Amino acid sequence: MSVTAALAGGFVGTLVLTTMLRAAGELRLTRIDLPFLLGSAFTANRTRAKALGYLLHFTIGQLFALGYYTLFLALGHSSWWLGMLFGLAHGMFAGTILVNILLPLVHPRMGTPLTSAPAVALLEPPGFLMLNYGLATPIVSLAAHLAYGALIGASISLAP
Amino acid sequence: METGSAQPAAGGYPERRDGYVPLREYAAIGDGRTVALVARDGAVDWLPVPDLDSATVFAAVLDSRHGGSCTLQPTVPCAVDRRYLPGTNVLETTFTTARGTVRITDAMTVPDTRLTPMRELQRRVEGLSGSVPMRWSVTPRFGYGSRPPRIRTRRGVPVVSCGADAVAVCTWQAGRPQCTESAISGRFGTRPGSRALIALSFAHEEPLVLPARAECEARLDHTCAAWRRWLGERACGGPWQQAVQRSALALKLLVFAPSGAIAAAATSSLPEQVGGIRNWDYRFSWIRDSAFTLDAFLRLGCPHEAHAYFWWLMHATQLTHPRLRVLYRLDGGARAPERTLPLQGYRGSAPARVGNAAADQLQLDTYGELLQTAWQYAQHGGPLDADIARRIAETADLVCRLWREPDAGLWEVRSRPLHFTQSKMMCWVALDRASRLAEQRLVPARHADRWRQERQAVRDFIETRCFSARKHSYIRAADSEEVDASLLLGLLHGYAPPDQPRMRGTVEAIRRELGDGPFVHRYTGDDGLPGSEGAFLACSFWLTEALARCGRHAEAADLMDQLITLANDVGLYSEEIDPAGGAFLGNLPQALSHLALISAACALTEGGRP
Repeated sequence: MSVTAALAGGFVGTLVLTTMLRAAGELRLTRIDLPFLLGSAFTANRTRAKALGYLLHFTIGQLFALGYYTLFLALGHSSWWLGMLFGLAHGMFAGTILVNILLPLVHPRMGTPLTSAPAVALLEPPGFLMLNYGLATPIVSLAAHLAYGALIGASISLAP
Repeated sequence: METGSAQPAAGGYPERRDGYVPLREYAAIGDGRTVALVARDGAVDWLPVPDLDSATVFAAVLDSRHGGSCTLQPTVPCAVDRRYLPGTNVLETTFTTARGTVRITDAMTVPDTRLTPMRELQRRVEGLSGSVPMRWSVTPRFGYGSRPPRIRTRRGVPVVSCGADAVAVCTWQAGRPQCTESAISGRFGTRPGSRALIALSFAHEEPLVLPARAECEARLDHTCAAWRRWLGERACGGPWQQAVQRSALALKLLVFAPSGAIAAAATSSLPEQVGGIRNWDYRFSWIRDSAFTLDAFLRLGCPHEAHAYFWWLMHATQLTHPRLRVLYRLDGGARAPERTLPLQGYRGSAPARVGNAAADQLQLDTYGELLQTAWQYAQHGGPLDADIARRIAETADLVCRLWREPDAGLWEVRSRPLHFTQSKMMCWVALDRASRLAEQRLVPARHADRWRQERQAVRDFIETRCFSARKHSYIRAADSEEVDASLLLGLLHGYAPPDQPRMRGTVEAIRRELGDGPFVHRYTGDDGLPGSEGAFLACSFWLTEALARCGRHAEAADLMDQLITLANDVGLYSEEIDPAGGAFLGNLPQALSHLALISAACALTEGGRP
């Protein structure tokens, strides 16, 4: 198993994941925008937030790819379907804990159900399974993470 | 329509008729997430939990027998005086009896550094003089009164639970709580210097927090300080400073802090005609109000609220882009299906509804409002990123295609669609603002020529089809002969300057045909619904602002003075008012009424904007 293949798979996987979410936005299925959510934690300038967010998102994509790689090593097996299984767990983690609970905790501009007067949130909270961003959000997010996992799994298993 | 005296004598104790007090007897308290209505007799008759648009736990204002409430009052005859603590949304009610005087302080507290209940209603009772016998009761009815509560005692604290919702009734020096199957109640007496406390701790999908008394007391003080600090940072000057400050605080109550959206009102189904069917849920954010909302935030010096609102607006409209819904939920969702509640309705004004079917209507004015809002945001230095700029341009493209269609208009009539003049004026505003943003290179200018051509076509349509030479006024809809108070928005949003003869004639015609003293009715024509309604308060303030902008400052100031006296004893306004008796009608507190007050006061203070 090659760590370079994992990183390459992570890069392509993040690209596909981001593109899928963006396409879903253009199709009016969801308002989720992960790079914007990440970047706006550091700046209120929307343009800069998106640019910074993409950078962060790809970095995080690489870190998760290394995490997948470690799991594959531990199991002694890698394949696209096992990667997809990791992607399923990853997607569920992202929708329930990462974006819904952890991100609002550290995001200075994101609301939570406890945000109260006189404060006012600049970004609405994602809600359970990020449903506040549109009813199709959990499905779209899960599908994107399945693709991410499958690509990493395939990249590692196909690498010489 | 409700008639008779609606304004109690100063200090009067409100009489409940069939369990209901007049709507003007209500004050609002809130925490930026939800709002409770407190009647002058000490009853909390409205409280959705956890959020402003959630199902209610107290809704006695819509059904005095089954809605649920939290009462707290002397058991002997009394006079009542009340006010908001200066600079806050914390209510202070003083009951004076033959035996003594007692003061109640009501607040929805805001979190501090301690472990805080998810939502908390606090009622502090202080004995000022003598000995006053008091009684209280809590009758929670979750789910708009539809779900039976289960009352148990946990560690000595009465707890009412129902599914994922629960409320703990924590009391100190307020007598021994008595629990029955449906209510918790108590009696106690006050003496000079005594201090009792009733705290309702609410939980939704999480365990209850049972606070200690010292924590509650500290949180109430913290809440007062937080409101005062917020108001202290606002810019509310001018001759109507007090009214503007109260309006700012009322608006802040309606800002849903977790998302930045602003609700049109805190309640649902308070009737526009007592006994009638015009009962709507206003706990949504209307695009219609967006330009006034942003303008008010900017004028009051609320940059955080302005940015949060604009961001929310852009996020909420993203799923339906380029089309706009009439209204969006406070969490940014677009669906608001309308249904009838199993409640009697305020004084029999059935049906009581939640959701709002107007969400599905075509209202062309919303596009003008959105682009006017974006224009204001940009002119105050708000950045429009590439995505938003592209969306604004696409919205203008859509207006080019849509403006020839009839619509439901600003007033959301449920009769057949018409070519409403105000809708066309706002289409002109939409295309004008898009063109100007393009000239400033803030949005893509690829289709700017088309926007300008269509802008002229809209104007040609309005000037040829929507003006009555006989009345010397713009008219409600193309080829009609009625006037409509919404035409004032043509002036306020810049379709025509105040010195334009046609617009001046329109202001005069509205005053002549729709005015009734300080009151202004919305329109006189059909709207597809039976029954009538009161005078629309926002229209009175719009007329005031229009007069000010036309240079008629003395008339405007006189009208403003009259309108200020129409507020209830704590400075709040509902949606409408009955010109015959002064009774409040419709949902309250109403954002649009308070927004229009702020806008009119600012216009007058500034000497009329050009």
